[in-house]
Amino acid sequence: MKRITINIQKVYLLSFFILLMSCETDVTNDIDLPAAPKRLVIEGGVERNRENLNQKQKIRLTTTANYLSDENVEVIKDATVVITDGLTTYDLVYTADGYYETDELTPKINKEYKISINWKGEVYEGSDKLNEVPSFDRFYYEFEEETIFTDEGYFIKFDCTDPAGVENYYYYRIFVNGVFTIVPDPGNNMTLVESDEFFDGQKRIGINPNEEVSFVPGEIATAQQLGISKAYYKYLYQLFVQTGNQGMSFVGNPPPASIRSNIVNLTNKDNRPLGYFYATDVVTDTILIEELK
Amino acid sequence: MRTKIVVLAILFPFVLSAQQKFTLNGYVRDGESGEVLPGVNILTGNFEGAVTNDYGFYSIVLTGGKKKICLSYLGYKNLEKEILLNKNLKLDFELQRQYEQLDEVIINSAGENASVRSTEMSVVSLNSQTIKKLPPTLGEPDILKSIQLLPGVSSATEASAGFNVRGGSADQNLVLLDEATIYNASHLFGFYSVFNNNAIKNLKLIKGGIPSIYGGRLSSVLDIKQKEGNSKKFGGEASIGLIASKILIEGPFLKKENQEGKGSFMLAARRSYVDLFSFLSEELKDSKLYFYDINLKTNYALNENNHLFLSGYFGRDKFELKDLVGTFWGNASGTLRWTSILNEKLFLQTSAIYSNYYYNLDNLRSGSEHSWESNITNYNLKPRISWFINENNTFKAGLDLVRYKFQPGKIKPIKGSSINYQKFDNKYAWENSAYINLKQKISNKLSLQYGLRYSTFTRMGQQEINLYESGKPLSYDELNEIYEENEISGTKKYSSDKKIQSFYGLEPRFSLRYLINNKNSLKFSYNRMYQYIHLISNTTSATPLDIWAPSGPYIEPQYANQVAVGFFKSTESRNYDFNVEAYYKKLHELTDFIEGADLLLTENIETQIAKGKGRAYGLELQINKNSGRLTGWLSYTLAKSESKIKGINNGKYYPVNNDQLHELNLVGFYQHNKKWNFGFNFIFGSGRPVTYPIAKYEQNGLVVAEYNNRNGNRLPVYHRLDLSANFKPRKNSKGKWIFSIANIYNRKNASSIYFKEISEVNDVEMATGITEATKLTFFGIVPSITYEFKF
Repeated sequence: MKRITINIQKVYLLSFFILLMSCETDVTNDIDLPAAPKRLVIEGGVERNRENLNQKQKIRLTTTANYLSDENVEVIKDATVVITDGLTTYDLVYTADGYYETDELTPKINKEYKISINWKGEVYEGSDKLNEVPSFDRFYYEFEEETIFTDEGYFIKFDCTDPAGVENYYYYRIFVNGVFTIVPDPGNNMTLVESDEFFDGQKRIGINPNEEVSFVPGEIATAQQLGISKAYYKYLYQLFVQTGNQGMSFVGNPPPASIRSNIVNLTNKDNRPLGYFYATDVVTDTILIEELK
Repeated sequence: MRTKIVVLAILFPFVLSAQQKFTLNGYVRDGESGEVLPGVNILTGNFEGAVTNDYGFYSIVLTGGKKKICLSYLGYKNLEKEILLNKNLKLDFELQRQYEQLDEVIINSAGENASVRSTEMSVVSLNSQTIKKLPPTLGEPDILKSIQLLPGVSSATEASAGFNVRGGSADQNLVLLDEATIYNASHLFGFYSVFNNNAIKNLKLIKGGIPSIYGGRLSSVLDIKQKEGNSKKFGGEASIGLIASKILIEGPFLKKENQEGKGSFMLAARRSYVDLFSFLSEELKDSKLYFYDINLKTNYALNENNHLFLSGYFGRDKFELKDLVGTFWGNASGTLRWTSILNEKLFLQTSAIYSNYYYNLDNLRSGSEHSWESNITNYNLKPRISWFINENNTFKAGLDLVRYKFQPGKIKPIKGSSINYQKFDNKYAWENSAYINLKQKISNKLSLQYGLRYSTFTRMGQQEINLYESGKPLSYDELNEIYEENEISGTKKYSSDKKIQSFYGLEPRFSLRYLINNKNSLKFSYNRMYQYIHLISNTTSATPLDIWAPSGPYIEPQYANQVAVGFFKSTESRNYDFNVEAYYKKLHELTDFIEGADLLLTENIETQIAKGKGRAYGLELQINKNSGRLTGWLSYTLAKSESKIKGINNGKYYPVNNDQLHELNLVGFYQHNKKWNFGFNFIFGSGRPVTYPIAKYEQNGLVVAEYNNRNGNRLPVYHRLDLSANFKPRKNSKGKWIFSIANIYNRKNASSIYFKEISEVNDVEMATGITEATKLTFFGIVPSITYEFKF
């Protein structure tokens, strides 16, 4: 539902009044964060790509790092990863950079996928259900003037009809010349994910899947619409709320919270993993941006 | 034996006395404006006395004969009068202002030992003159900013809607403007309050020992009274400042030659114009940002024993960015009060009150234009009788009947967008209470005030209530330490005449004063409070878009118990007074939100609420210098406030957002000469809580922070110095200039420290993977200038 709610955080940030007087100081060097034990981080899931049903399925395993350190997150190479759909079990094989892959798995709509990870003698498990996503009715781009929130430039737009009578949850990804692009921004929880609560069954016109990413002529613009589960929607919503923290007391400053994974450590519950294992249906479209007269 | 007599005296306060006694009663007024004066001390001997009530009325029983009456009220000349009392007598007094003492600021206007002698404790009063002389933080004298200079009162940041009393949350304060509840006391996201200082006569903040006439909130009562208007002559004042301009007119009506009017009125208006500066920025030029408010009060004397008052408030904030977003919010209230002196011992007052808080949020972006609206309305009837039984006993009893209508939300498409119209169910409730209160003098040394309030809260239809599979909306998964929302298994419909659920609360209140001698007293108080409506907010401090939710099938009422002890002292010259208080407060059924709660546009709020308890304790100290060229106060608070909520901070106690261990305020006013006077305040406070991340990880291309302990870290200490100067060009000039500088040494105080991934490289927005800690400062040095004139 959240697209319609706009981005209140930004609204307040822009109160001129605050702009006139407030200021921000980088205090990174004044703060000493104690080291915490490293935890397992799961990122990835089963993606049913309409345009390529047999694409590789990938999961990335890494660990946590000290928040203010320059160190990169460590990748995990020595885990065992399997995914099962209840009938068949697929082994994922480590390739590089923390990725575990399989090309055996062809995802199916409405199936529940379960992941099982064995790392350092501890077993982690979690699951998600794959929900169907509607296709774009129309995929295009438009030029928009600069506003307070956004730069001027070309923005992807699409029209889409929400299936009536079912709960749908959406997530949008943008690629610039084939490279996935995202900006940490307080508006993400309102734009990148949404529920159809207030537009169930409606044809929507002119959806901008990411207001932070604009294009210039000559670039190839790609957008994906993902059908996700309610649980993953809630996870992403929280993820975007927390990563959009702007420190303003009245908004954009949610009480800091740990974002709970759908994966559970069965061996030692206190050593909670982070991240998410999802199952999603994906539609993709691509367009070359040309100068509009 | 002795204790038995005391007990008897408590139980049968009415069976006393023998000698021939008479009642003296009447009003005390300001000799210049004709406004009634509340809190005036009327003494007829060392220990026999009375204090005028909120409407300036007093009633006192005395033995017959020749009596010397002495009235005292700081800032006014003492009035002494000899009377012969051989029958019941009605006598009104007028007090004359003290002008020879220049324009000095009176700190404790009830004066003359009142704070030592009163049974009240944990009470602070400010009048509008004091507030006006305080250096304005951001260009405007402000009530809510001023009370934060008093011990036990704080706020989470400079820009939070509301204030916190003794560690309580902002929604635990009952804010009354001429008896009407104000649901959101802030303008401009909390930088200013909705109260136009020019229209305010005085305010009283009760932090503990709350008398039974008040109820409905856990932590405090802020009782604000508007000016009634001058009943002798027309006049007004206006001021022009950088942030806002104000005008006030007042005067009598139905006035005959050489007489006071039968009534008087006061009308004040204020508007801010921050947005006039928007032309400075190309991007902001079609934007709107302003607030305005209007205050009105009139009173009319039906006859010498019956008065009618009508007062009202209307205020709105508007914020709009063209083609993007608009919001509009504010309060409206109206109070009609009738006071009547039934006889020399009975004073009856009845108020009918309307109060509303409304907000709307428009999304103006093409494709998904819609408007969102929410509001809360109440109708309130408050009859109360005061019975001045005899010289030792005053009895009050009354009813407080409130009808609520909550409209949690309505969404509708605008400009033909594809948003579906949807309206959340309205919620209806009655909050009805009855109370009694007795003020009793047991001996010359011992006085008590005690009472009982019986409150009820009944949720009524018409509404559909969700039923959940396991009987409750949330289950706590002990294994994974998370809340799981339960599925809705059905709904139950209630028609408008059906009760959904009722709650009851018995709220005893008690306070005691023991006079060690005429200059020193000890006090003790206890109160239990119930709160049936809750402000739903998921940011670190309240915002205009928070929703009030009533108790009901899945939300229990909150309640709190508080005890406080205090020592009060005044010096021989009565120029100084001193008090120290210690309190302990326990709060139950507190609501907080489950981690990651999603509250905006959520109909089933109950699925987002976790419950817990809280405790707060502290020590408060205040020294006042009441009169002279230099007046002011020094206050110090040592306090701790914590909550314990299942699912937050691993189920352990954690400090609340406004918790501050030390807070020190030094406030002073100096009258230099007839042209110049100065004000200053210095604030020093230990750092408020903040949560630092324990780790980072990557997800969806972003760096995410992992947190463990809620509010486990502290911001740097907060301090700043503000100065102001008032300048009158000539002795009798009608105009004056007010210069002020807030935060004079430009300290960059931290409003928050937050952690984020840097989102821009060379002006291009992108995720960088680089993390930083950022300190946010709301304001550095802020100069301002205002011109004010009377007419």
